[in-house]
Amino acid sequence: MDDLVAARATMAFSLGFHIIFAAIGMTMPFLMSVAHFLYLKKKDPVYLGLTKLWMKGVAILFAVGAVSGTVLSFELGLLWPGFMQYAGPIIGMPFSWEGTAFFLEAIAIGLFLYGWDRMSPWVHWTTGLLVGVTGFVSGIFVVAANGWMNAPAGFDWVNGVAQNVDPVKAMFNRAWPHQSLHMQLAALQAVGCAVGGIHAWLYLRGVASDLNLKALRIAMVIGASASILQPFAGHIAGESVAELQPAKLAAMEGHFKTSRHAALTVGGLPDVETQTMKWGVELPGLLSLLAHRDLNAEVIGLDKYPREDWPPVLIVHVAFQVMVAIGSAMALMGVLYFWFVRRGKFPRWFLWVVVACAPLGVVAIEAGWVVTEVGRQPWIIYGLVRTKDAVTPVPGMVYHFGLFVVLYLCLAVATVWLLRRQFRTVQQKFGG
Amino acid sequence: MIDILVCFIGASLLLYVLLGGSDFGAGIIELLPAGRLREAQKEVINHAMGPVWEANHMWLILIVVILFMGFPTIFTTLMIALHLPMLALLVGIVVRGAAFTFRHYDAVQEKRSQRIYTVLFGLSSLWTSLWLGIIAASLNRGIIDPAAREVWTAWFAPWWGVYPLAVGLFVVCIYAFLASIYLVGETEQPDLKKRFLRLAGWFNGLVVLAGGLVFVASTTERESLPSAFLKNPLNLAVIALATLLFVALWFFVAKRRTMLTRIVASGQVALILLGWYVLYAPNALITARGPLSFYTEAAPPATLWQLVLALLIGSLFIFPSIFYLFRVFKLPGGAKH
Ligand code: HDD
Ligand code: HEM
Ligand code: HEM
Repeated sequence: MDDLVAARATMAFSLGFHIIFAAIGMTMPFLMSVAHFLYLKKKDPVYLGLTKLWMKGVAILFAVGAVSGTVLSFELGLLWPGFMQYAGPIIGMPFSWEGTAFFLEAIAIGLFLYGWDRMSPWVHWTTGLLVGVTGFVSGIFVVAANGWMNAPAGFDWVNGVAQNVDPVKAMFNRAWPHQSLHMQLAALQAVGCAVGGIHAWLYLRGVASDLNLKALRIAMVIGASASILQPFAGHIAGESVAELQPAKLAAMEGHFKTSRHAALTVGGLPDVETQTMKWGVELPGLLSLLAHRDLNAEVIGLDKYPREDWPPVLIVHVAFQVMVAIGSAMALMGVLYFWFVRRGKFPRWFLWVVVACAPLGVVAIEAGWVVTEVGRQPWIIYGLVRTKDAVTPVPGMVYHFGLFVVLYLCLAVATVWLLRRQFRTVQQKFGG
Repeated sequence: MIDILVCFIGASLLLYVLLGGSDFGAGIIELLPAGRLREAQKEVINHAMGPVWEANHMWLILIVVILFMGFPTIFTTLMIALHLPMLALLVGIVVRGAAFTFRHYDAVQEKRSQRIYTVLFGLSSLWTSLWLGIIAASLNRGIIDPAAREVWTAWFAPWWGVYPLAVGLFVVCIYAFLASIYLVGETEQPDLKKRFLRLAGWFNGLVVLAGGLVFVASTTERESLPSAFLKNPLNLAVIALATLLFVALWFFVAKRRTMLTRIVASGQVALILLGWYVLYAPNALITARGPLSFYTEAAPPATLWQLVLALLIGSLFIFPSIFYLFRVFKLPGGAKH
């Protein structure tokens, strides 16, 4: 592995790790607050048990999110000094607001976790809600930094140097709205459905039925609503990508030749050598319609770009297909969920569907980030700075990569082990 | 504007050392044999650190963000030359945060796993503090060479040597000292109180010894500390004051004035940091090719402006919340319900 590849792998691995805990940190506190609210209103001890159960989850997962986030803020410099050199002053602003939000989040979580008998119940409840709000806001800010990498704004590029820097314009770049909308929904969807799925599974196994059914309902209201909205947000993202980064869109769709009345290919594998799609189902005109709202619009293909400016087509295409497939399946599940809620009873097979969806949202998040980040290649700042020019001069990056893989794998194993112990104690406490 | 930012960096560093540092110190203390007091000590530390450690840790992130937004050259130079110590620091931060939280929230509290968490928590606290000191010492040695690409000179020499190691040990002792002083006020149990006081005494002695070691070790450097100090009388005054405060400290200890002992101990550490700032200001780094000053390496004014704005507005929210956090958990009789 050469140093560039190792650095990219390290970045991808540490972000891919962090984003799971970040999504949890943006969603779980809300679930917890709803349960806590219901307890304070109805005084039903089951809701208190649920609040405390979720709170312990939040505490464990938040700590992992916090330490992996700290690693990231260093890695921006450790891996990409050539990027931060330009980008720091331009996109530091969302990071500084994100930092403010984290600070408040860290304070709020301390107050909530340890403040049970030190504050009046509603003040205490508010601190729990604030954990969610500040986490959610920080997620919105940090995506602005990523949006800027996709749609650079707020500076003039003169002879390879950034001048007339305007951090406000940079923060309000054109990729931010669609990316943060889509990402925040993704967090709600993935975590809502994952929590719902876990409780559905415990319910099906006959563990603590009352608690698990209540938990399922709270989690799925959020998860299922977000699942239904997500394809629309994804469509908006697609339209923006068509406009801002045609090469990324072409790679996502395996669209090699610029054409009018372009077909949408469902599934299939792009073959870069022959520049064709194999085994896909073609839906004529649909790509033009989706990207430009016109069946006959021209969709730019990869042929408009020199070969060295192509992103890795296969990876981007497959990741995109995975995300869309999951998005469609989960949207369907979301609709069914509300239908069964209106009928007042969940059939067992549907609960198994919910269980099956539990890991899918997380997979879609990872796939979505692969689309965004790998689809931006070979640029680290789209159209301006190449990734290879931004990488650190430090040799032996492969050891850095190996170190973090080992460290994070240990952390992941320990986290899963701990969460399993939590669930086992639920069974003991609330009966089988 | 740059002045404001430098003040923010200085203040964040101070708060990180005082608050975050005492959390590290608590971990170091748990490595020492405690006999039958072990479980009680663990409980006290869990309750003292639990609500505040994530907030205390944020000061470090704040420094990183101010650096990469406001002073990108300083940030990138550091991250390239000190890649290895930074990596060591990160590993320590990850292990410590995880071990501490896992220990408290593990649903099944059994001896063996608790023991493993505690050892990991302690070792990583020690490890991280040591590297923090090494990094601090490496900033101003004049060895970092941004143009070097030869493995030893570029990536080892900047932090290798007895002097950085001595500073690392000094930081370890200071953290453990602060933690012992702070912990005295966290418990009502007389024998634990006595233990923390005894530890504070021991670490007080060690701080002085390690401080002396730093001075001796610095004679192997390009410019030794004694000669740098002699050039600057203000510095001598600062260090003399810090040492004199030991008298006040133990006076208040004898009078059992918990809050005052905490303030005096913090004041001593603040003075040591002040001495360090005075010695090198306004330079952030001294490299082999000359100093990098905050005043010459700053980002464009538009950026600095936004950064200052964010920090000031952020402070309006952060400081009252921190105050509330500490009032709820740290002040006697604070907001009990
Ligand atoms: C639960 C997760 C999830 C689901 C079900 C979907 N997505 Fe997604 N997608 C994401 C999670 C995600 C993400 C992780 O949040 C990304 C990565 C970067 C971003 O802004 O959002 C993303 C990126 C992303 C991008 C690239 C944006 C860019 O590079 O600027 C497009 C075009 C889509 N998505 C489109 C879709 C479509 C048409 C979906 C149809 C159902 C869909 N996504 C479902
Ligand atoms: C604010 C948010 C983010 C920033 C600033 C950011 C920044 C970066 C940088 C600097 C790189 C290295 C350069 C490159 O290879 O393009 C990178 C690569 C990458 N990032 Fe992001 N990223 C962000 C969000 C994410 C998230 C949340 C993920 C989640 C999975 C992610 C996944 C990746 C991947 C997969 C790569 C490697 C791409 C490749 O193979 O070349 N990114 N990102
Ligand atoms: C380069 C990119 C990133 C950096 C430098 C970064 C940095 C950080 C840091 C320093 C923390 C710890 C804060 C604390 O101690 O409380 C953190 C946590 C967090 N990050 Fe990231 N982050 C990045 C990407 C992302 C992305 C893409 C998202 C979401 C869209 C995100 C959302 C969060 C959230 C919600 C937390 C709170 C901790 C938790 O709930 O687990 N981060 N991040």
